[in-house]
Amino acid sequence: MAFLTPLFLVGLSALAIPVLIHLIQRERKRVVEFPSLMFVRRIPYQSVRRRRIRHWALLMLRAAAVALIVLAFARPFFRRDASAIAATGGAREVVILLDQSASMGYGDHWQKARDAARAVVSGLERDDKATLVLFSRNAEENMRATSDRSRLAAAINAAKVGSGATRYGPALKLAESILSRSPVKRREAVLISDFQKTGWSGSEDAKFPEGMTLTTTSVASPNTANLSVPSVSFGRAAFSGQERMTVTAGLSNKGDGPLKDIPVVLTVDGHDIETARAAVAPHASASVTFAPFTLVGSNVRGSIHAASDPLPADNAFYFVLSPSEPVSIVIVDGLDRSDASLFLAKALAIGSTPAFQIDVTSASRVSPATFDKRSVVVLNDTPFPPGSGGALKRFVERGGGVLVVAGDHTTLPSGSTNEADLFPGRLAGAIDRTSGRSGSLGFLDYSHPVFEVFKAPRSGDFSAAHMFRYRSLEAGPNDRVLARFDDGAVAAVEKKAGLGRVIVWTSTLDDTSTDIAVKPVFLPLVHQLVRYLSRYEAATSWFTVGQVLDLTARARTRAARIVVSPSGERTTQAGMGEGTEGLLELNDQGIYEIRGTGASGGRPEAIAVNLDPVESDLAPLDPSALLASVTGHATSVDVQQQAPQEMTREDTERRQSLWWYLLLTGVGLLAIETIIANRLSRKEKFL
Amino acid sequence: METNVVPGARFVDPKILARIGNLELLARTVVEGFINGLHRAPFFGASIDFAEHRGYVAGDDIRRVDWRLYARTDRYYVKQYEADTNTNVSILFDISKSMQFASRGIPKLEYGCFVGACMAYLAQRQRDRVGIITFDNDIVTHVPPSAKHFNITLHTLDRAKAERPGNLGVPLNKMAEHFKRRGILILISDFYEEPDTILEAIKPLKFLGNELIVFHVLDPAELDFGYDDASSFEDLETGEQIPVVPESLRDEYRAMIRAHIEALTTKFSEHRIDYTLLNTAEPLDRALFSYLSSRERLMRVR
Repeated sequence: MAFLTPLFLVGLSALAIPVLIHLIQRERKRVVEFPSLMFVRRIPYQSVRRRRIRHWALLMLRAAAVALIVLAFARPFFRRDASAIAATGGAREVVILLDQSASMGYGDHWQKARDAARAVVSGLERDDKATLVLFSRNAEENMRATSDRSRLAAAINAAKVGSGATRYGPALKLAESILSRSPVKRREAVLISDFQKTGWSGSEDAKFPEGMTLTTTSVASPNTANLSVPSVSFGRAAFSGQERMTVTAGLSNKGDGPLKDIPVVLTVDGHDIETARAAVAPHASASVTFAPFTLVGSNVRGSIHAASDPLPADNAFYFVLSPSEPVSIVIVDGLDRSDASLFLAKALAIGSTPAFQIDVTSASRVSPATFDKRSVVVLNDTPFPPGSGGALKRFVERGGGVLVVAGDHTTLPSGSTNEADLFPGRLAGAIDRTSGRSGSLGFLDYSHPVFEVFKAPRSGDFSAAHMFRYRSLEAGPNDRVLARFDDGAVAAVEKKAGLGRVIVWTSTLDDTSTDIAVKPVFLPLVHQLVRYLSRYEAATSWFTVGQVLDLTARARTRAARIVVSPSGERTTQAGMGEGTEGLLELNDQGIYEIRGTGASGGRPEAIAVNLDPVESDLAPLDPSALLASVTGHATSVDVQQQAPQEMTREDTERRQSLWWYLLLTGVGLLAIETIIANRLSRKEKFL
Repeated sequence: METNVVPGARFVDPKILARIGNLELLARTVVEGFINGLHRAPFFGASIDFAEHRGYVAGDDIRRVDWRLYARTDRYYVKQYEADTNTNVSILFDISKSMQFASRGIPKLEYGCFVGACMAYLAQRQRDRVGIITFDNDIVTHVPPSAKHFNITLHTLDRAKAERPGNLGVPLNKMAEHFKRRGILILISDFYEEPDTILEAIKPLKFLGNELIVFHVLDPAELDFGYDDASSFEDLETGEQIPVVPESLRDEYRAMIRAHIEALTTKFSEHRIDYTLLNTAEPLDRALFSYLSSRERLMRVR
């Protein structure tokens, strides 16, 4: 036996305390002179009882209690036991990484994975600790390091397959983090998964240092056949003032065999609209187009279900449809030209995402009502509409967009008026580039949403457009210059006012001062300008699991909202301005419902969430490749075969924890001693 | 209380007496007060002149022949006079170290001195010859009885100091050899020996025909063992220390000291020895009573 803190053994001298107290008590009594102790001496036993120790058992009990407590503080341990433990390698810290991604729902993969996890738990020694980490796209500790095997088993039983995609990186990093915190020498991670190839790109920065072991347990089946519906597309057509939708579902066959006569069902608002038959060749895709149907109302829920297979989750595809709303634009142009806005109007008439509803009016007819229910106002080479400055300013501050096409006729409010600060910079005289080489656009801010689409190579050649005449503009310090001509003059500048945006294009958007209107970039440029100014966002028919939705951006009311997930779980999102972020993480496949707490009637807002299409690709990864990447070894090192590791004295002592038993026994003895002593003292008052 | 039974007891309170430095004055105060308080002294002065007639034997002084009785009876009788009843009174005073003990009042030694002085005074008043022997484990001082030794006796008492351990056997045996003439022996001691041993030591004195008056002087603490705190008790004579918890011993101790006193009472009475237990917290009258009753008995026996 050895001791971790042998200095505490000095405390054994405390054993002498009861005897010393006895002696000291005796010595410090005063001496009484008495004529003769003839009789005292003759009284047997009692006359000297104080000097003698009468209750040896009690003394032994006290001494044993003190000795046990002192020994407990000295932290004893057995060396022989320590060497035995060293032979087996000592306690282990195990992290069980259990894949719960959607692909684990394939056949009996999940059952096999849980069985493998249970096997790991049942293989734990008494002092081993294990952490259960469930992972898919993210990883989280489901059960913190514990030696309690029943709790671990319960956690494994309670785990369910999720809807997330597989990513090994976060799980391995979490395992590395847990293991690196552990003081134990034997650290192991057990990765139980179907080892989808799509979950591992090889660039994940997950490395296990020396001393950590990774064991892989694959539950993948050798020949997996999987049909999935990875995407759905919609065709919209106007018919009698209503929209007709044509749904086309994509089908993907990842199996080795062909799939024939597969029933594909289109469901809209809970009703099976149509069942189509499809055939998909092995490792190929196909599509099924359903007959058009009329879209009546917003938030129409639809889904596509293809024939059942071992992984049913990816055979369904959910979507939500709403009628598209056109962007309303009013173009204000000059008095003297009837075709001043021809190019603009024609360009905007094209397009369905979004559709543009255009009204053209002259400056003299502009009234505050002109801006009602408009998304964008275009001041196309026109003097500033008289008397409409205040209304235009309110329109912009409420979120409207204004595009000023600054031709020769264009005037903007001067510096003294209230609405002057609505427009960026100060518009000056015209610059004529008709003589000599014409001007061109020299700089475009591709980081701006308007020009972002032109960023990629061969995405639009602005240099082909000739600029013959344009207005000079001096941009203010808070204005953002979006484009410049080749001579450095400002071509486009933006200013934000309130919630709205104002862009000044310093040339015309027709054929008077430039030929850009006949260049290929014209149409997308005009569309981009109007989309940006109208804050248009394409309606999303579905999201993918793992996306985070900003509910505050979609909110129509300031009231709190209740979100009902596809699994029926209800969560309340506080209203705007109440300090919450209003973010909703979409973790489940299916339709989420969002209702306002105070709302009555009407269809609740719906959000469709689908599996990540890559989750349907069950092609397995060779676990040894992952092992090699993470640990640097092609195979997991069997810890049992390692040379027996000498356990530290601290580890041995901690493992044995003898002090705990000694302390308990010591305290118990003291309690017994107290009881016995009390009984004795009751009998013998002179104790 | 006996102090109430005996009038005059107020004169003999040991604590008051302790303030009187002069032993003779003390003895006189005690004895006179005691005697006056009695109103009558039935034992005192009776037949002190004439004791009895006895038949003439050859050798008797013919001057002592009672001629008147001869005239009446025609026989010779010799008159025995009171002068012949004067006796030797020896005070045997134990001054062993245990006599030094005092718990609350006066030490046993001092109380013994008072008793001795009073006895000497009484004896001297009766024309008895007074002497004193102090002893511990041997004879310390020896003042033979004499009509003139009253003062010396008082001086001896005054000087007595308890310094050595005591032992009755040796000094009393020596005394027995010394006493040639019978008389009254007043033995004052605390008798810390076995009753049989004490009796064995005393017997030789008794064989000589001496009248023995034994005063057993004990402190109240020795009788009731009224200690509370657990203490180390030191034997005054041997110096031995024993830790004692008085509470636990008291009853047994009392029983033992009672048994000791009863044993002494029984054994002394068996041997016609007058035994009186004196408590140093009590007045001296019991000692005087004891003495006087002893004197009376002496006269009757004779």
